[in-house]
Amino acid sequence: MAKARALDRRRRSVRNIRKITRTMELIATARFKKAMDRSVAARDYTRQLSCMLENIASSGIGVVHPLLEVRPNKRTAVLILTGNRGLCGGYNSNIVRQSLAVLGQWKSEGIGTQVAVSGKKGISSLRFRGIEIADRYTSFDDRPAFDAVEPIGRAYLDGYSAGDFDRLDVVYTKFQSIAKQSAIIETLLPLAPPESTGSDTRLAQVKPEYDFYPSSESILEELLPASFLSRLFKCFLDSAVSEQVARMVAMKAASENAGSLIKDLSRRYNRARQSQITGEIMEILGGVEALKG
Amino acid sequence: MVDSTPVKNSAHTLRLVIVTPELTIFDEPSRFVTLPLFDGQRGVAYGHAPFIGRLGAGEVRIIGVDKTIHRYFVEGGFVEVGPSAVSIVAHRAIRSQNLNAVVAREQKEALLKVSAHGDEAIDARQRAVDAARAKVRAATNDHA
Repeated sequence: MAKARALDRRRRSVRNIRKITRTMELIATARFKKAMDRSVAARDYTRQLSCMLENIASSGIGVVHPLLEVRPNKRTAVLILTGNRGLCGGYNSNIVRQSLAVLGQWKSEGIGTQVAVSGKKGISSLRFRGIEIADRYTSFDDRPAFDAVEPIGRAYLDGYSAGDFDRLDVVYTKFQSIAKQSAIIETLLPLAPPESTGSDTRLAQVKPEYDFYPSSESILEELLPASFLSRLFKCFLDSAVSEQVARMVAMKAASENAGSLIKDLSRRYNRARQSQITGEIMEILGGVEALKG
Repeated sequence: MVDSTPVKNSAHTLRLVIVTPELTIFDEPSRFVTLPLFDGQRGVAYGHAPFIGRLGAGEVRIIGVDKTIHRYFVEGGFVEVGPSAVSIVAHRAIRSQNLNAVVAREQKEALLKVSAHGDEAIDARQRAVDAARAKVRAATNDHA
């Protein structure tokens, strides 16, 4: 009976695990929907800002700003966005792998790095690999707030203007669709120059000529940092959405795996129980035969 | 420009949008809007000459199509005025009636007590005090 009982005990524990993974899957689904809504709501801001930048660029004035200037790279700031919690498949490990690749690349080129990491998982993995981490953030969960991201962005803007570093790379998981999220490295500083909407792209639409109050330079002075902050915020939002999708998928796979494990264990348990019963019948029959003799 | 010479017609409305980094707060057709630009207020109706301007801290007053008045307090940002659309991109925006006058007044008093040294610090302090004053004004102004 020992083997059958052990199998039964194991089956019960797998069942309990399945209950947990199933619940986590449902929670991740609900959180994913909320995170997705926030991400969609934030898109308008980025779109309006880039629309204004385009209008300024196409108004014919030269767009010159320190944030757009490409400087010779002596030191790079790297911001790595991971999750605070695990059980989300390859989400954290993909980011760590990308981070190590980019840090290795800068090291081989002899360029100094200044690493900041958000998320407990990333912090512990990178510390284990001996990476020196200058700033750590552990307060971002599935609902990153702009007010929390803004001080980080402002600190980067100040550091960039002061010449502490010449480039900012953000390693995060870009949300492309529910089926595809990829760990990527995006360069946020220097900012990509705004593209003027060329004459061929919007031929049908007559573009009005804009006045600027107080002046286009003064507006750019504030618009570019705002644009940077909104792009940084988008990275945080994308990471949050991708983490929930990754957890959802991982927990769904875990639940399905637990289901097939339970099926297999049940089969083995029934077989063990049956063979035990057969054994007992044989013993009884053997005893009866012995008594007859 | 074709659109910059509008026909006088009450059916002409502005599409007014207020977006913040986290949310689109307002997106409705409107008759008229008063914007708190960096150097004072400016009224915009349908057919206004297009401009892009920097906003200061202050109240955006919107007169809707049904003549209802919506008031939002914004703190910095930009506005893009097209012939028939106004987009306000604000760092922060909150409905004026949700502002707490007592808290706003306390914030202003606290800021007034802070001393600043150096040109930049004095400018920053002045901007903060102006924003706090505008907030108090928006919070106590309940004639909507």
